[in-house]
Amino acid sequence: MSEQQQWQAIANHSKFIELKRKKRNFLFSWWIISTIYYLLLPVISGYFPEAFRVKVIGPINFGYLFILSQFVMAIGVAIYYAHVANKTFDRLTKQLLEALQ
Amino acid sequence: MKKRIAALTVALSLSMFGAAAVCAQAPAGAAAPQAATVAAPQAGAPAAAAAQAAAPAANVAAKAVATPAKGGAAPAKITPNRGITIGMFALIIAVTMGVVVWAAKKTQTASDFYTAGGGITGFQNGWAIAGDYMSAASFLGMSGLISLYGIDGFMYAVGPMFSFIAILLVIAEPCRNAGKYTLGDILCFRSSPKVVRGVAALSTVTVSIFYLIAQMVGAGKLMQMLLNIPYRVSVIGVGALMVAYVVFGGMKATTWVQIIKASLLMGATTVLCLLVAIKAGFNPVRFFTDVVSNSAIQEHVRMNVLKDVIAKPGVDYGQRFLEPGLFLKNPLDQISLGLAWALGAAGLPHILMRFFTVPSAKDARKSIIVALFLNSSFFFMISVIGFGAALYLTPQAISAVDKGGNMATLLLAQHMGGGAGSLGGDIFLAFICAVAFATILAVVSGLVLAASAAIAHDVYVNIIKDGKADQQLQVKVARITSLFVGTSAIVMGLMAEKENVVALVALAFAVAASGNFPVIMLSLFWRKFNTAGIVSGLVVGTISALTLVMVSPVMTYPKKIAADAKKVVETLEKKQAGGAVLAEKEVQALEKSRTEYVKNKDGKSMVGLDAPIFPLKNPGIVSVPLGFLAAVFGCLLFRERRAEEMFDEIDVRQNTGIGIASAADH
Repeated sequence: MSEQQQWQAIANHSKFIELKRKKRNFLFSWWIISTIYYLLLPVISGYFPEAFRVKVIGPINFGYLFILSQFVMAIGVAIYYAHVANKTFDRLTKQLLEALQ
Repeated sequence: MKKRIAALTVALSLSMFGAAAVCAQAPAGAAAPQAATVAAPQAGAPAAAAAQAAAPAANVAAKAVATPAKGGAAPAKITPNRGITIGMFALIIAVTMGVVVWAAKKTQTASDFYTAGGGITGFQNGWAIAGDYMSAASFLGMSGLISLYGIDGFMYAVGPMFSFIAILLVIAEPCRNAGKYTLGDILCFRSSPKVVRGVAALSTVTVSIFYLIAQMVGAGKLMQMLLNIPYRVSVIGVGALMVAYVVFGGMKATTWVQIIKASLLMGATTVLCLLVAIKAGFNPVRFFTDVVSNSAIQEHVRMNVLKDVIAKPGVDYGQRFLEPGLFLKNPLDQISLGLAWALGAAGLPHILMRFFTVPSAKDARKSIIVALFLNSSFFFMISVIGFGAALYLTPQAISAVDKGGNMATLLLAQHMGGGAGSLGGDIFLAFICAVAFATILAVVSGLVLAASAAIAHDVYVNIIKDGKADQQLQVKVARITSLFVGTSAIVMGLMAEKENVVALVALAFAVAASGNFPVIMLSLFWRKFNTAGIVSGLVVGTISALTLVMVSPVMTYPKKIAADAKKVVETLEKKQAGGAVLAEKEVQALEKSRTEYVKNKDGKSMVGLDAPIFPLKNPGIVSVPLGFLAAVFGCLLFRERRAEEMFDEIDVRQNTGIGIASAADH
């Protein structure tokens, strides 16, 4: 079997297809969701600045809290990804490697 | 070899000391004229002439020295204690040089040189990546922006922080699994390797050199402003150290210098932030109530930012400080900048290179998460420092020292340490200065390494030598290339003293986002992608980003400067004609504006324009889609069966890490 056929064989392995599908779905959907949330910041502050002016606690307004929420969102996505990757993706990869041997 | 390294290290350290000592001696006498000869030879002339001669590039040092000459007015200048500061600089140089000697002994193979042999742990790499983001621009510039423009400055911090998400989800692990040393390694898997390596190397060198020159110029100006070290001396000094780190210590030294600096910077930022928090009683509501009711801030927003000479009824100028729109005016530009950050950072070669220093994809993942934690806390603390500086020092005092607010962090450190002249203030200020110095050193070293890797590994070893070079030769070539890249950076830094470096940083990010990012993504995830796509994507992305920045408002337009100067001249002449006697400051301003007008009225921008053609400072919103489209079209026009058949290999590799060891010799 040529080297290329070997790679092809792995690529067609059911475990690999499962791993790839799960990874792609997870990564791209979370990437798109978080990017939309992130781009809301310049959009709201630029086109709807009144929203940012709404006072929430004392002088602290929605704008400040929204910026803070970006930090929380990024850390949240990162922790969630780490959790899923450690639990699901790494396990599937390991199973695939075992099946190949 | 070892002896030679040690001798060179000592010689370099000594020359740095020498340079610092020469500069330290002159102002030690504290006599104004003597100091003036160091900073600005023109200061012997009447004050007005000196102020006029001072370069527009905010030669604060020269201006401040000129002030006492005309007597009276207190000079607005930050004056670190030279003895303590230079001592701390020396300590940092000594420690990092120790690291270099240690790393040099362990650098035997090409993999040692470019990736520290893959022997950096995820946690360590996280600190190093975080360090790459914590540049002097964020440490000094961002807090300054917040102290002058409030919440708009804080908004700036979100881009760099968020850029980790794209890196974490779609770049870091696949690149670790499929890559080796450089961008070229990732891209050339299933394409014509020589062509792709050549183009990738060109793009890497372009991005890194732009970024590098901006850092070098910033370093020179910072040292000049802080310690009166002449621009040339500081650029050469910083350059010499940077070359020493990279040439002898390779990635291992560069990484550890970055880790040391990141911990110092985190430490300094945490202490400063805690001091502000203690002063505010750990009560954010009280803190922000104090900020919005501070009369100096209210006046600053009203007079200096919004230019409302008479207060408009119903406007709460203090609250306005916490509302957007004081600094960032064009929403489209903000979206464009946001896009450049979200995608550009993932395409920066010196960041990309860091993923190869860890042994596995799991470690790459861990390092991004560590870096994200560190950087989000860093940027949050910087915002507290920025608001704290506005509250406790007033924006007026901060902008009096530096118009752009870049000295806010330093002034706050001095203030919190006990004020100017006190031992505590001196020590804290000196420490923060030294940390800023270490920051520059660490960031420039990573850039030199990335550019050298592209030239030595992609161009020399793989294009010229067809990949047939033994380890010894590879390391030798890598060292010579780093020396060459570093020396060129010093020369370019010296030539670029008067250049507008903001444009250079914008360029680096725009090229990374529009050229590198699309082709990395498509190479990793799209079966049909091929050589033609890589070349057209890189070329079109890079050229469109370059062209748009060249005709954008970030470049310098002499006619615009002339028009502004004319306005000042007209206003003041009108005032004079009305019979009013101009204050000394106004006479100076009049003189300066007149010369500026004459000098600039017939000038054209670098590409021969009177005014910008493209309205946005950041081209991302146009050039990123262009880069993607070009990559897709190029690839569909010239279909390549081999590339499609070989997709299985890269797909398996990037998803599973199979073959990660043999990636070292593909």
